[in-house]
Amino acid sequence: MARRKTAESGDGDAQQPSTPDVKPTAALNVQREVIKVNNANQSELKHTLDDTLKRFLGGPDQFKTIHRHTDVRLALGWSCVFIASGTALYGYQTQFEKSKFVVWTGVILYVLLTSIQTLYAYFIEGRTVYVGKRKTFTKRIETERITIESHAHPSSPSSPPKYELSVLYIRSTNNGKSLLHRGKIQDSLGFNAFYDEDGVLDQVVFEEWVRGLVIKAAGDAE
Amino acid sequence: MFAEELKTFRRLGFRHVLLQVLNFASVITSGLMIWKGLGLITNTESPIVVVLSGSMEPAFYRGDLLFLTNPPHTSYKTGDITVYQIPGVDIPIVHRVIEAHDLAKDPSSNNTLLHTNRQLLLTKGDNNYADDIQLYQGLDWLEREHIVGKVQGYLPYIGYVTIAMNDFPQLKYALLGILGFLALLQRE
Repeated sequence: MARRKTAESGDGDAQQPSTPDVKPTAALNVQREVIKVNNANQSELKHTLDDTLKRFLGGPDQFKTIHRHTDVRLALGWSCVFIASGTALYGYQTQFEKSKFVVWTGVILYVLLTSIQTLYAYFIEGRTVYVGKRKTFTKRIETERITIESHAHPSSPSSPPKYELSVLYIRSTNNGKSLLHRGKIQDSLGFNAFYDEDGVLDQVVFEEWVRGLVIKAAGDAE
Repeated sequence: MFAEELKTFRRLGFRHVLLQVLNFASVITSGLMIWKGLGLITNTESPIVVVLSGSMEPAFYRGDLLFLTNPPHTSYKTGDITVYQIPGVDIPIVHRVIEAHDLAKDPSSNNTLLHTNRQLLLTKGDNNYADDIQLYQGLDWLEREHIVGKVQGYLPYIGYVTIAMNDFPQLKYALLGILGFLALLQRE
């Protein structure tokens, strides 16, 4: 009987997977600074929640943040800026006819890099706000990888604007080669669940919600 | 007001600050690149200019925006409205061509200037009494290389923004300051 149960849960292991340790930070509530935003600005509401999520999951004893998407965007963006400034400076100092070749290469390079950056952000990064990794040393070295996407739904006459999170949790060993566990959870709540009417964010409520989603994604077999 | 933003910066760390500064820098550089690209496509150093004087009335008034092109191998004809710049003079001038002489190419000539097609041009402002010979700083004729471009189209009144910013530099700095402030603090 017990054997069939474990087979059904889709886990190769003989025991239930341990729930990941996402510690609540409620204990630190007293020293926290108040986060207050403009209630009317949906973009600010969403970004503040994203930032709080990044700080919460990337905090001490939680996951280790993978900054890949940010770094790619920074690298491409800043190289565009430098190419553009170099080209503009060169064009300013040299006569128009002589400078044409260099300015052409500069402009074309700039357009190319900007297009790559836009395509990367649209196709590869998409709605991802957080990517994190954690290694646990139970019986063997297990790597947990978590990817979180967020999206804001505008309000409709019957519902408030909503914040949707999509959590993807992957646990593997053997340096990513053996998959132990994969879970994906999607959930959305109205922004009014987190912000009060003055625009103050209730960080504890939000972090508890996120924590619940992560635990559910980790405990949810696919 | 600033306290909130500074707190956000400190909270989010160095990468975030870099991202926000990148936002600001990209706005400026994309404007710059569009300008340079436009200049390359139209083959002229400044594809958009503002009329500063009334010497071309009633065709163009002070404050009009002019769009220029400089087609590479065509010759300018009498009646074309050109913008030219005499070397050593800061401000380019927009006047009409009233005389154009095409000197044919003569590769065998001793005069190396005749090894390519050359044009000698004389211009005059529609609203001026005399032609531009006084403005040529000693030259007898304008040559192709002095011409920035030929006017292809115009927009009235828009150029007053540029004139205002030139006459009141504080306006320019204020505008830049406001744009910078917004770009640094807004999130996409």
